[in-house]
Amino acid sequence: MKELLTAKKLVTRTTLAFAAMVVVMLVCSLIGTESVSLKAVFSGLDTQQTTNTDYEIFVHVRLPRIILAAIVGAALACSGVVFQALLRNPLADPYILGISSGAGLGAIVAVIGGLNWTLWGRSPIAVFAFAGALGTVWLVWFIGRFTGKSHVTGLILAGVVVNAFFSAVIMFLISVAKSDEVYATIFWLMGNMTEESFLVLWLGAGCVGAGIFALFYISPKLNALSFGEDDARSMGVNTAGTRTIAFAVAALITAIAVSLSGLVGFVGLIVPHGVRLVFGPDHRQLLPLSGIVGAIFLVAADTLARVIVAPAQLPVGVVTAIVGGPFFLVLLVKYTHKIGWPSK
Amino acid sequence: MSIIEVSHLSFGYAEAEVLRDLSFEIRHGSFLAIAGPNGAGKTTLLNLLCKTLKAKSGTIKIDATVIESYSSKTLAGKVAVVRQEFVPVFGFSVIEMVLMARTAYLGTFGFESKADRKIVAEALEMTDTAQFASRPLGSLSGGERQRVFIARALAQDTDILLLDEPTSHLDFKHQVGIYDLLKTMQLEKGKTIVAVTHDINLAAQYADVTLLLGADGSYEYGPARDVFTCEQIKKVFGVSVFAGKVGKENFFIPLGKFAKDSGQISRKP
Repeated sequence: MKELLTAKKLVTRTTLAFAAMVVVMLVCSLIGTESVSLKAVFSGLDTQQTTNTDYEIFVHVRLPRIILAAIVGAALACSGVVFQALLRNPLADPYILGISSGAGLGAIVAVIGGLNWTLWGRSPIAVFAFAGALGTVWLVWFIGRFTGKSHVTGLILAGVVVNAFFSAVIMFLISVAKSDEVYATIFWLMGNMTEESFLVLWLGAGCVGAGIFALFYISPKLNALSFGEDDARSMGVNTAGTRTIAFAVAALITAIAVSLSGLVGFVGLIVPHGVRLVFGPDHRQLLPLSGIVGAIFLVAADTLARVIVAPAQLPVGVVTAIVGGPFFLVLLVKYTHKIGWPSK
Repeated sequence: MSIIEVSHLSFGYAEAEVLRDLSFEIRHGSFLAIAGPNGAGKTTLLNLLCKTLKAKSGTIKIDATVIESYSSKTLAGKVAVVRQEFVPVFGFSVIEMVLMARTAYLGTFGFESKADRKIVAEALEMTDTAQFASRPLGSLSGGERQRVFIARALAQDTDILLLDEPTSHLDFKHQVGIYDLLKTMQLEKGKTIVAVTHDINLAAQYADVTLLLGADGSYEYGPARDVFTCEQIKKVFGVSVFAGKVGKENFFIPLGKFAKDSGQISRKP
């Protein structure tokens, strides 16, 4: 009989994956146009020498960026898991309910408005993107509620339509904006990692970490919800409460990710599928492992984005799609027998 | 003693009334088959009995307690549901899916205890699904999948099992197999079985009591031989039937306009 998931197995796998993530983050922080020596970095930690270049690059340039990529990758991957489960749709990703267009609209409004202030170290683009993302999810949720019993289909359709409408508004604003404003917006829309302050990183990591923990707590109920609301309810799940919490938390961590890095595509779609193909669909395992693999994937992708055309940099969203796509297809071919695609 | 009491139950969708002033009781450990034409409210009634829908008027009592008093979790300890067959989107294996029946009983961090696993193993054994426990659900045939869904309901360890057309799309062998399994669960485990079906012949053979719902809100409730008659079937379904007997129970063959030799049929029970 198939080996079943136990708490011990989950702790072991999660710990190993977490250790692998730390190693990847460490290795990636040494790679770049300027190579960094770990020995020199640690001597810098001991003496706090301000002239230690390796230490400066490691602590103030590479580490913040790599931690940011890990936060964003974990948030998008976990959010993708939740949206796929709740919408029972393998094509769902964190942006399916219009978060991307809402965030994009917020960002371009901030750019065109010429706003120039900061809130907890965040630029107006980030703040408006965050508000736009959450506002759009609320709007889609509100519209979806009127569709009643076919809630899932109604939500997806509302998301698609709101996405299309806001995208059209974005295109309109871009077409009437000045060229430097257009460049700033497009650059943001492609998704980029930048060196953030540790205050922003701690805040982001804290919120995303708490969100992922909350999602893990309700993960057994997500298993039941994958079979539909009626089935889950008859198995004893408070479906309305679980769905509301899951949607709200997933939308919140996606909005945080988007406000930190712009629209990084593909992570929230392929990481959950990749982990599901290798380890199975049980959400108790899928959520934490997707978070960690999402972090590893985006850290590695951002490192490639930094070095592949150095000294220039690619938007990380380009790398996630170019590298992630073929990698995912290999997984799909290798593990497809485990899925048991329905014959009808 | 009655485990389910339905009293003056009415329900409708928008302007259309589906169930009207319906009253009946189901005794603990009995087998009720619900039949009727499409749109008569069979699945609606099942959804009312598991609180997926809320009645417009009237009451439903489970174990002498009105159904509204139960939370989803407490009701999941009383009533398990096997809905019309569907294939899940993600590749859960048979064992993973049957284990989900224990969701209502899981502790804080949601892992099954040894006792949970024992109950699941017994459910797999009883439904003869242990042999493909590791296989993805989507890779099974319709009959095998249906047995897995019944195993999940069994693993929920409830007194009542509600089933919505458990034999639709299945061949003769699997139809009989499913009904044999349900009857075994009734007789050996003392389960109360409520099954919606379009097959009144199987219903007559296996059920202790039957409920025939009419599309106009009328209904007949009682033993199959009293409820399923040529006149009732003609009235409710609007088709003539050829009737015969298997043991004490009637069986019926529907006769359409082009039925062969229908003019020669005269025998009635």
